[in-house]
Amino acid sequence: MAEFPKLTYEALTVGEEFVSDTHLVTPEDIEAYAFAVDDHHPWFSGPSPFGGPVAHPTLMANQALSLRHSKYIVHAGLHAKMEFNFLEPVRPGMRVRSRGRVIDKYERRGRQYMVTEYVTEDETGAPLVRGQFTQMLIPEGTRHAGR
Amino acid sequence: MPVAEAAAVGQELPSLAKDLTQRRIDVFSGVRPRSIHTDEDWARQKGFRTTLAQGMMSTAYASEMMTRLLGPGFVKGGTLSMAFIKPVYAGDRLTVHGVVKETRPEGAGMRVVVEVWCQNQHGEKTAVGTASGLTA
Repeated sequence: MAEFPKLTYEALTVGEEFVSDTHLVTPEDIEAYAFAVDDHHPWFSGPSPFGGPVAHPTLMANQALSLRHSKYIVHAGLHAKMEFNFLEPVRPGMRVRSRGRVIDKYERRGRQYMVTEYVTEDETGAPLVRGQFTQMLIPEGTRHAGR
Repeated sequence: MPVAEAAAVGQELPSLAKDLTQRRIDVFSGVRPRSIHTDEDWARQKGFRTTLAQGMMSTAYASEMMTRLLGPGFVKGGTLSMAFIKPVYAGDRLTVHGVVKETRPEGAGMRVVVEVWCQNQHGEKTAVGTASGLTA
């Protein structure tokens, strides 16, 4: 059974790895995402140059961004940077998961950051999206000076 | 005519306007307590004036702009890199912009590199970055 310690800058280790659960991509996922970002491209529900419906390219990004929640209780954080390399389209019916590895952590101007490289892959392990992201940690008992 | 056929360095892409309603943020992020995106009290406790949209929503908008420009050459073979430089709050209206910065041969086609950014209703940039994709 997994245990979930609180995420702190001190507890975080460069090189530690995360893996998400596998998620079945459904037409409803794609429809909900289209509503959320107000983008109703016809390829999301009908024919596309890829032979059938495809998801919005960034559909599964939150699966990658949430990887640290697979090991830690995350008090609060902010997303600072995001990079994508779109290798293959995500399609409804795929079972996808994301894997990540912490490649850096640093403090700048009194704020703490972690950098994770990730890959989102299909059920055969074929990569669909690769990239990395930087997240700011907001420690327990502190406030972010909202700009 | 696909925009990509006419992509030229310096060309400004058609902008997109996006209204960041709490309802859309809720669907994007999933409603839960103690979330700066969906729990207004928690967002205030963390120092923000109200709930914030995820930065990832801005990457989706840039992705939409690039898919309109390049079609399948962005969905497969595209890249996107963005930095989130200012919070986007529920109720904000973002305008998404893009300008072609470079075109270079790649494979049988061209890679088109675009500077992308989002700007709020006060004219402040909230996210900046670069995207690219392939022409057929």
